[in-house]
Amino acid sequence: MTEALLSKEIPVPRKWVGTPIKAKEFPRLITGQGRYVDDIKIPNMLYAALLRSPYAHAKIKRIDTSKAEKLPGVVAIVTQEDVLKYCKPYPQIVPPPADKLLDYCIAVDKVRFAGEPVAAVAATERAIAEDACELIEVEYEPLPPVMDAEEALKPDAPLVHEEVGTNLVWHEVFDYGDVDKAFAEADKVISLKLHHHRYGGAPTETHAVVADYDKGTGVLTIYCNNQMPMFCMALIGLSFNMPTDKIRIITPDIGGGFGSKILSYTYMMLISILAMKAGRPVKWMEDRRENLASGTHCNEATFYVEAAVKKDGTILGIKAKTLHDVGAYLRYEPVGALLWIQVSSGPYRFKNLRMDVNAIVTNKGPVAPIRGYGRIQHLWMLERTVEQVARQLGLDPIEVKLKNYVRPEEMPYVSPSGATYDSGDYPTALKKALQMINYDEWRRKQPELWRQGRFVGIGAALFQDSGTNNFAQVRLIYKNNPFSGNSRMAEMWMDEFGRIIVAVGSNPHGQCHETVVSQVVADVFGVTPDDVFVVPGFDSWVHGWTGHSGSYASQFAVSGIGAVLGAAKRLREKIATIAAHMLKAKPEDLEFKEGKVCVKGTDRCVAFWQVANLAYRNNLELPEGVEPGLRVIYTWKAPFKLPDLEKKTVNATLTYSYQAHACVVEVDPETGKVKILDYAVVDDCGVPINPHIVEGQVHGSTMNGIAAALFEEYVYSKDTGQLLASTFMDYLFPTALEIPDIKVDHMISPSPFTELGTKGVGEGSLVPLGSIAGAIEDALSPLGVVITDSHNPPERIYRMIKEAQKKRK
Amino acid sequence: MIPRSFEYLRPSTLQEAVQLLDKYEESKILAGGQSLIALMKLRLASPKYIIDITRIPGLSYVKEEGNKILIGPLTTHDTVENSPIIRNKCPILSEAASRIGDQQIRNRGTIAGTLCHADPSADVPTTFLALDGEVVAMGKDGERVIKAKDFFQDFFTTALNPNEVVKEVRVPVLPPKTGTAYIKHARREGDFAIVAVAAIITLDENNVCKSASISLGSVGPTPLRAVEVENALVGKKLTDEVIVAASELADRGISPPSDIHGSAEYRAEMAKVFTKRAIRLALSRIGG
Ligand SMILES: Cc1cc2nc3c(=O)[nH]c(=O)nc-3n(C[C@H](O)[C@H](O)[C@H](O)COP(=O)(O)OP(=O)(O)OC[C@H]3O[C@@H](n4cnc5c(N)ncnc54)[C@H](O)[C@@H]3O)c2cc1C
Repeated sequence: MTEALLSKEIPVPRKWVGTPIKAKEFPRLITGQGRYVDDIKIPNMLYAALLRSPYAHAKIKRIDTSKAEKLPGVVAIVTQEDVLKYCKPYPQIVPPPADKLLDYCIAVDKVRFAGEPVAAVAATERAIAEDACELIEVEYEPLPPVMDAEEALKPDAPLVHEEVGTNLVWHEVFDYGDVDKAFAEADKVISLKLHHHRYGGAPTETHAVVADYDKGTGVLTIYCNNQMPMFCMALIGLSFNMPTDKIRIITPDIGGGFGSKILSYTYMMLISILAMKAGRPVKWMEDRRENLASGTHCNEATFYVEAAVKKDGTILGIKAKTLHDVGAYLRYEPVGALLWIQVSSGPYRFKNLRMDVNAIVTNKGPVAPIRGYGRIQHLWMLERTVEQVARQLGLDPIEVKLKNYVRPEEMPYVSPSGATYDSGDYPTALKKALQMINYDEWRRKQPELWRQGRFVGIGAALFQDSGTNNFAQVRLIYKNNPFSGNSRMAEMWMDEFGRIIVAVGSNPHGQCHETVVSQVVADVFGVTPDDVFVVPGFDSWVHGWTGHSGSYASQFAVSGIGAVLGAAKRLREKIATIAAHMLKAKPEDLEFKEGKVCVKGTDRCVAFWQVANLAYRNNLELPEGVEPGLRVIYTWKAPFKLPDLEKKTVNATLTYSYQAHACVVEVDPETGKVKILDYAVVDDCGVPINPHIVEGQVHGSTMNGIAAALFEEYVYSKDTGQLLASTFMDYLFPTALEIPDIKVDHMISPSPFTELGTKGVGEGSLVPLGSIAGAIEDALSPLGVVITDSHNPPERIYRMIKEAQKKRK
Repeated sequence: MIPRSFEYLRPSTLQEAVQLLDKYEESKILAGGQSLIALMKLRLASPKYIIDITRIPGLSYVKEEGNKILIGPLTTHDTVENSPIIRNKCPILSEAASRIGDQQIRNRGTIAGTLCHADPSADVPTTFLALDGEVVAMGKDGERVIKAKDFFQDFFTTALNPNEVVKEVRVPVLPPKTGTAYIKHARREGDFAIVAVAAIITLDENNVCKSASISLGSVGPTPLRAVEVENALVGKKLTDEVIVAASELADRGISPPSDIHGSAEYRAEMAKVFTKRAIRLALSRIGG
């Protein structure tokens, strides 16, 4: 089929797109019939356990595996020696000197965080592998750990990576507009120090790998639950002494990810080495303690912020120095320290911004691209800043937000960093959310409640969920990075019996891609979603993929669906060509309905199977020049440009969903405990393909944000470097009892940049971090308490209250 | 997270269980497993012999005898929570059991198990101390009664000998004009307490406080009685000033631990706050 055959403008009737059908995946996942990595059993398979470092920072002086090797049932043990035989260090995306940073899938010479893998054992049973780990003798020389980004910058701080010579692995200043002028013209300058804490994804299914090396063919098959395995292929391919054409990666159903499962390529390699050494397939299923300790936490960040403002609350400009604590290795970093660039002024319209960005290594677990990656920290910082602007000027925070929001008529809006906000109406969304919690009523009651000693407060925030990223933004980290743009591949075919099959090669872990793809395809072919089969899971030998493939960064409804639409149109075009020949009509006079192709306005039709029959089995009847078969591939490319390296601007993301949250909380002044009395969300992700699934994502993201604001924190000991929140007894995953009823309403601002008007929705940006901090501050406003941390457990609030009360006395 | 290997033994009587305990060093009774199995999986405990008593018949019951309620060792938290006898005659024990973990845990965990585990932040031990309860311990040389105040000795340590089992748990039938409350401060529902308070208040016919029993959880190596608070209540009309003043004494004699959910200082302050709240609640529950 030639490009000329493709008419770009096949109208897509919207019958199924926009309909809240039940997800196809739900019955199997809810009734326990999902198939995960742990369900895979291969004959002769061994089970692995990892020995992890008890120290946050120590030299490895000696590893003796001899006792462990003698334990009956132990087949192979991998330590740094084996890894060095198979691997080069992972490539880094930072400029010198940090590009020299050495990172492998196991600790080499030194351990750099408590929980870092030091040895891997394969045995006939998992229990034996765990017993064997206890028999491995490792002699460590403990070194002082560095557990704080600011400490790490001091000249006498211990070095996490001697080979780099500094703990500051990336530093860059971004200057947009005229910041100095903004500060010169300001009526007031507000300064704040803020801290965004470490929390994470903690998915139901932890990391898992089954590695199967076939000596005969030399093929290594890796079953895993990585969210973007083919992006990771670049890391695997460049560091593994294995021909990449012989590496096959399969992901079955995945039990949650939240970004944490992007980093599992280290485990994919370690377990593969173990399998090759053992000469047998090996399964490794991470346990919960390992999952919590191994890093894959979100970026921790400290901000020194200054805001230049007018008396009426107009923000003229912001300067911020940010210190990102990225943990012991860079892995995906320093991207998280850069991604504020997608939402540089947040929902606000100030033009002048100076960001002094620092990424710093410490002896904590390495961070991962966790939900809201890099943007949440920045959006939360802006939200805190704007609220303090209001409070310090004696203005209402809500009014100040509304005043500074980008106006709907300004969309598409180019933010200071060059990121273009595609569409939306921020003021209306915020007002709507406030209405849903009866804002006016609470404000009226509030003074009386304060008089009664009840600290009730209202908070509202709006965060964007920027989606479909332009990989070229990493060139602002290092100009030589060989990535840009974004793309997805889809393959689609009609089989000999007229059935439609789609292979998208995404790695969904709760986003129901099978359902939304079938809805979109159903509309193109005039069938129902049940008539469309979407191949579950991902197999690099089955699905087409590009270096951007995967499920991450709020984009399937744009990039994945872009590829699906492209493929669907291609396939439809070819079917139309054959059908036109059979019906002796023009392709443009045909319509697709109910599994048939018909001449519009007549009952002259051919069924899909009849067309397919010609294409597959009866090809002498095909029209001249038409290639047999009905199978197409389409690769979607995002319409991005390369960054301006001089100005450091980039159109970093294609779409901007957003959520406005409003809540009412009550703070118990005697204990510091926060109770949520009401919670409302207004979501706008453009055209929802399936509103039901969108609602699920909105609830999930809201819960994730409430969890982060009030319950979940990876606390480390400053002295020993140990992770103190090391089990679910201390890493407090909230339950249904802690999460209030969440009222949800929607707005639809179609994206002008995507074919269906869709936007990404997966991350949702954890807005409760903003709304709850604001509500607590509002509740305690009679005491003048300023919330400066994104995590607010009871004791922290209790202490702030006591201090404020002392000051007042 | 798989335990080290162990031998599994399943006696059919408590006598046999005691014999096995006596015979094998490094042996442990397995009841509901809600504490023991977790410790074994974390490899913090690695008994060589597990003596599973859960199949022994007749060890789950709640009976009233005289002014005591007798509870079988395998009685689950759920049964304790929902037993009409306990609800009517000793409601604070029901209330404490209802606050343990979640329903699955309450379906399996047992009253003797939580007492023998002796976690100072657990719900039932604190309440048991306020109730002046007792356990009947059975060893190879016979039985003995251990009072609550003697039972808890240190973190996770009781007065039981290694070869003794708890055969029965006893708590009093509470007298009339008694109000009780068990409350805890925890980050989430179902978490172990940052601070817990069990309060039992009995008034005389003139509404003067005849007896007060206040016990605190999670503020020391064992549950602790707040003796000074009790003394500040007994013999007085319990006005709110009296309650507030008495509660201020709740930090006397405690030695709270520090962890990421609460520093020692914070726990000491919360001991006062929750003592005040527990006394108020207990008082409000005294019927005519
Ligand atoms: C997720 C989770 C949350 C929890 N939350 C709470 C909570 O909020 N509050 C709370 O109080 N508890 C909580 N618990 C602990 C729970 O109460 C346990 O059930 C209880 O501590 C132990 O009872 P068990 O029957 O399960 O005992 P097991 O775990 O079987 O045994 C515990 C110990 O007691 C010994 N033992 C048991 N029975 C006897 C006996 N008859 N004689 C002598 N020794 C005996 C065992 O040898 C062992 O040392 C929680 C547990 C879990 C897993």
